[in-house]
Amino acid sequence: MDLRSKRTLTLPTPLVIPKDNSPDAMTLNQALAVVNSKKVRGLRQVHYLACGFEPLHLSVLLRAYLLTALPNDDVEIAHGVYGDLRGNIEAAYQSPALAAFVVIEWSDLDSRLGLRASGGWGTKAKTDILVSLESRMNQLESALCHLCTRMPVVVAGPSLPLPPIGNTIDLQASVFELELEQMLAIFLVRLSRITGLRITRCPSANPRMDPRMELMAGFPYKIPYASSLARTLSGVLCQPQPKKGLITDLDDTLWAGIVGEVGTNGVSWHQDSHTQIHGLYQQLLGHLASMGVLLGVCSKNEQATVEAVFERQDLLLESRQFFPVIANWGPKSGSVSRVLKAWNIAPAAVVFVDDSPMEIEEVQQAFPEMTCLQFNGKDPDKSLRLFAELRNHFGKPLVVEEDLLRQASIRSSAEFSELGGDTVSPEFLSTLMGVVTLDFRREVAAGRALELINKTNQFNLNGRRIIEGEWQRYLAHEDCVCAVVSYQDKFGSLGRVAVLLGIKKHQTLHISHWVMSCRAFSRKIEHHTLEAIFTRMGVGVIELDFIPTEKNNPLVELLTEIGVVSSANGLYELSRSTFLSRCGILPHNLLEKQE
Amino acid sequence: MNQITQRVNNCFANVFPDLRPEDAARVSTASFAKWDSVAHVTLLSSIAEEFGIELEMSDFEELTSYALIVDFLEQKQQ
Repeated sequence: MDLRSKRTLTLPTPLVIPKDNSPDAMTLNQALAVVNSKKVRGLRQVHYLACGFEPLHLSVLLRAYLLTALPNDDVEIAHGVYGDLRGNIEAAYQSPALAAFVVIEWSDLDSRLGLRASGGWGTKAKTDILVSLESRMNQLESALCHLCTRMPVVVAGPSLPLPPIGNTIDLQASVFELELEQMLAIFLVRLSRITGLRITRCPSANPRMDPRMELMAGFPYKIPYASSLARTLSGVLCQPQPKKGLITDLDDTLWAGIVGEVGTNGVSWHQDSHTQIHGLYQQLLGHLASMGVLLGVCSKNEQATVEAVFERQDLLLESRQFFPVIANWGPKSGSVSRVLKAWNIAPAAVVFVDDSPMEIEEVQQAFPEMTCLQFNGKDPDKSLRLFAELRNHFGKPLVVEEDLLRQASIRSSAEFSELGGDTVSPEFLSTLMGVVTLDFRREVAAGRALELINKTNQFNLNGRRIIEGEWQRYLAHEDCVCAVVSYQDKFGSLGRVAVLLGIKKHQTLHISHWVMSCRAFSRKIEHHTLEAIFTRMGVGVIELDFIPTEKNNPLVELLTEIGVVSSANGLYELSRSTFLSRCGILPHNLLEKQE
Repeated sequence: MNQITQRVNNCFANVFPDLRPEDAARVSTASFAKWDSVAHVTLLSSIAEEFGIELEMSDFEELTSYALIVDFLEQKQQ
């Protein structure tokens, strides 16, 4: 069998990251040109824009941004009727859309807060607005909860100014306006806790309201603001994969000063020594570590000198949050290479921060795919922009349990390797007291499982990515089998490390997606997974939708080892008898969680 | 073709990509079915953006054909 030669299957559309990061938003004419220039395209992907106003230019602009973000797809924007936001949210649920954008304005919460109603702004009306707002918000929350069971939802909260309804001059907030804003804030917090729902934050400084267009056509935004809003909506749905690790320099980066020259207590990062910007950087790194970002150190120093500073009690993050810490006098690229090896992640998933342009250039040349950024402690403006950029490199919609386990699991993997784990002797594995857990419950197969499918390269059946809406459709299939695999042993838990997704018909399981984190290699977790599928689910044959990629050689080796063969229908298959005769004794205990 | 008509043609092509350029000069809301109320707002917004002008509500009611739009823009330029 030559698994590497098969390239006949059609790849579905991968999740593509928007490339246009220019600060200037599209004009309406540019958006129309984008829409017209890309008429004949691939897979038609419907997105639903639910709003209470006429969608008009927002729809055109949103389509143009999505076409830019998803260049292999034909994007269509569906929308509902004027003045019925809740009804439109319900219509989105019934639609074939893969994702929904919900744009809420004050007039959707109470029409008296818009320009096109005549319900009065007197005391009685204001009291009634406050009373009715709560039930209106509850109705919308309920509709959005329902919609999120079917597709990912991006919500933009009210961005237009309130009408001149306060009793104060406009420089002074009125109690009524503050009460409205308080209710809105609480409402948006509640929405942000709904699984699959994301709230936008549109940073546009453009004037927002276009009263002429609102009164004439029911479209409330000036075009430049509508463009910023559309770009924000698209950007929140089509987010880039977050980076996984940050490698930092120490001298004049993590702290001010050259520790080799001024000594352990001579370096600083506090306000009283006017080096607070380094303290802020430490706090940011501590925050990133708490989100599961890996932190490593590459410094031109003596190891003992660095360790002495890391013992200082006033460090603003815990020194154990850095792993590995590499201090030597060799080229930085060599140290970076060692960190990447310890983490076992690709350079493209890493950000390197250093104060020296020369070091940045040297590392960038060695790792062109790595994001290399300069820390400039002398310029607080630049430092704050760097911090904002770091947030965007590492931000993610949801922090899951495995993110918090990652640092510890990298350390335990290092111990595992030191003890000879990479040689995979069955005797060694049987001493680990390992437990492999297969969770078949579809309701838990969210977040982490989809993240694994969309970021795993090496142990990946075909490299296919899935967007959230497709994932939800897949799980809704009555014959869908989704196994989320967790692992733990005496070194600790690796969390959820593998996902297998397929459709079972009679005694055949057709596997369309199978991925496993590289942190879980060499433990026979994949063998346990297949064994459970064969022996506990009554499966006689597994069909694999395998496609070789540039990076999935580890999976090729496994398929060859366990006896996968080409089948007549152009797929690959594995019979129960072949697998059981080849898999050998499996070293761990197995747990199952069924629906 | 002067600069105004060229730019107006571009706006028509953006909003009505299936309209043949040679037919554009003859169309109006009455004669061209695709020129509905949504297309009308989009077209005039496209023209306002292209020429950097603000249109009054009355302009939206009056500018109902290619010829009227070009005349209006030529008068604005004088």
